Amino acid sequence: MSSTDPEQKLPSEAELAELSREDLVRLGGKLDDVELVEYPDPWPVKGTRAEKRAERLVAAWFLIAALAGLAFVVVFVAWPSAYVAPDQEGYFAYSLYTPLLGATLGLSVAAIGVAALLYTKKFIPHEVAVQQRHEGGSTEVDKATFAAHLADAGVRSTIGRRSLIKRTAGLGAGAMGLGVGVFALGGLVRDPWAQTDTPNSLWHTGWKSDDGERVFLRRATGNPEVVDLVKPGDLDAGAMETVFPFRESERGDHEALSKALKRSDNPVMLIRLRPQDAARVVKAEGQEDFNYGDYYAYTKICSHLGCPTSLYEQRTNRILCPCHQSQFDALNHAKPIFGPATRKLAQLPIAVDEKTGYLYALRDFIEPVGPAFWERKS
Amino acid sequence: MTKKPRSRGKFRRRLAGLLALGFALLSVGLAYSALAPSPPVAQAQDDAALVRKGEQIYNTTCISCHGANLEGVQDRGPSLVGIGQASVYFQTATGRMPAVRQEAQVPRKPPKLTPDQVDAIGAFVQSHGGGTQLPNVPGEQLIGDNPARGGELFRLNCASCHNFTGRGGALSSGKYAPALDGVTETEIYAAMLTGPQNMPKFSDRQLTPEEKKDIIAYVKSVTDGNNNPGGSALGGLGPQSEGLIAFIVGIAALVGVTLWIGAKS
Repeated sequence: MSSTDPEQKLPSEAELAELSREDLVRLGGKLDDVELVEYPDPWPVKGTRAEKRAERLVAAWFLIAALAGLAFVVVFVAWPSAYVAPDQEGYFAYSLYTPLLGATLGLSVAAIGVAALLYTKKFIPHEVAVQQRHEGGSTEVDKATFAAHLADAGVRSTIGRRSLIKRTAGLGAGAMGLGVGVFALGGLVRDPWAQTDTPNSLWHTGWKSDDGERVFLRRATGNPEVVDLVKPGDLDAGAMETVFPFRESERGDHEALSKALKRSDNPVMLIRLRPQDAARVVKAEGQEDFNYGDYYAYTKICSHLGCPTSLYEQRTNRILCPCHQSQFDALNHAKPIFGPATRKLAQLPIAVDEKTGYLYALRDFIEPVGPAFWERKS
Repeated sequence: MTKKPRSRGKFRRRLAGLLALGFALLSVGLAYSALAPSPPVAQAQDDAALVRKGEQIYNTTCISCHGANLEGVQDRGPSLVGIGQASVYFQTATGRMPAVRQEAQVPRKPPKLTPDQVDAIGAFVQSHGGGTQLPNVPGEQLIGDNPARGGELFRLNCASCHNFTGRGGALSSGKYAPALDGVTETEIYAAMLTGPQNMPKFSDRQLTPEEKKDIIAYVKSVTDGNNNPGGSALGGLGPQSEGLIAFIVGIAALVGVTLWIGAKS
């Protein structure tokens, strides 16, 4: 509180009107106990060539910023931005599109920054100021009066004796806070087992048929509308194909078809073993009739943490998971033989439709696919 | 006067007959060329001279591991009966065969056999039990025109082992899926068709020839430095290496600029 300094003598109103700008600056500093030791004009001699050069330098950078900004607009609007394959004409120009956008806009921003820095360096005086540091906190008088001021405001608002307002205010604010809390947390509270027997619960996959409609095996061709079902005989011995569920009632239904292709627990590896390997297969109990000839269908979802286990080695008949190096033996009901996985891959029971000759799933997996969860007992 | 129109009529009839014959021949020819299936291979498997030449090369190059009658030798090499010309092409044109030694996986190396010899052995093996054959077209014709669909199919069928830009990756017990740089179109096609070593086979009923060609187009668009707009692929390993480099270079640059600003003021 330098204004309370007894040495300070504030100028009267008339004196204040007389003071020049520089005097006012000095007075302001003095009131805050700041003294300018050095406040040099960077260009004491006006109009030198050096000063002109500095001025032109700053202007040049601003000009560069302007040109680069305009260049960005031109590139954005006029440069060929449509995709061109690497071996086609015009690829080089196309490949420059994104770099040019970045370079021009980046140069523009950088040039403005450089110009501002240069201006500060060249034209703003580099003053040296000394400010006095005062000891201790505020004086006792200041503290006491300020505290009294606050208390006075509180008392005069009469909130202390208006308990009705106090209580309703608390009620209103509390209820509002409750609303915010419910809004934030309510979405997290949900019963995952409310619909335990639907295809959407963790116990089931998209292969589950609710109404007895046959769920066929389809391959993905890059276009969800093109339904390409799988026949035995499509795969060579020692082949693997990823298949997805398809229901005849979904034909033409773009949304349902894409959903079946994208749902995370739907992908199934359809493997056709080599005949000499198929002769050595050991089936799991209760899964004796799940295969169709040499065709075995295992879920693609790893039983460890749910990665896609689609690295199939057709000679060693191992199925590898790339995430944590679990290995499953396709000849041994896909039981784990290496790595952190402890449960076998779920096997999808498949058969051939008598009328069309396409492969279909007899029913859903008999166990949940993918990693363990709390309610899972096996 | 009565003779002239008759002769004119005769001439016309002849002309019409000729035209009709020509038209009929032309349409039959067109219909044939449109309907007749193009021969799946132009490999001269009946070319006795080529088969004999292949047999000679086989007897000096392959016989010790695959046996005198292609029946295979225990613990050395499998039987080659029925594997087909496509398989022979892949194994020999990529230099994998003849192999140097028994190991987890036979690696690619500069080919030992000339293209002529490869064709001859292919014809010889093909004459023993048949098998899959390559379409007899130059490699450029195996590049499809839809690399986007090829990319979808590659990510679904191939990327799990070969990485989604064809960098390759590890398999079990020392085996690996090789990187796809520097691999010709025909070799990729042959690999998909025949499933060499531990790679699954992708028959034409599973991936149509057009889909295979699109996959090749995609592979070609991301390998051999084609997927490298920044100048250095940094191993093509994805966000890890790129993030690390961006972090180190970016932070170093920021520190440098900060030091520069601090030193100047």
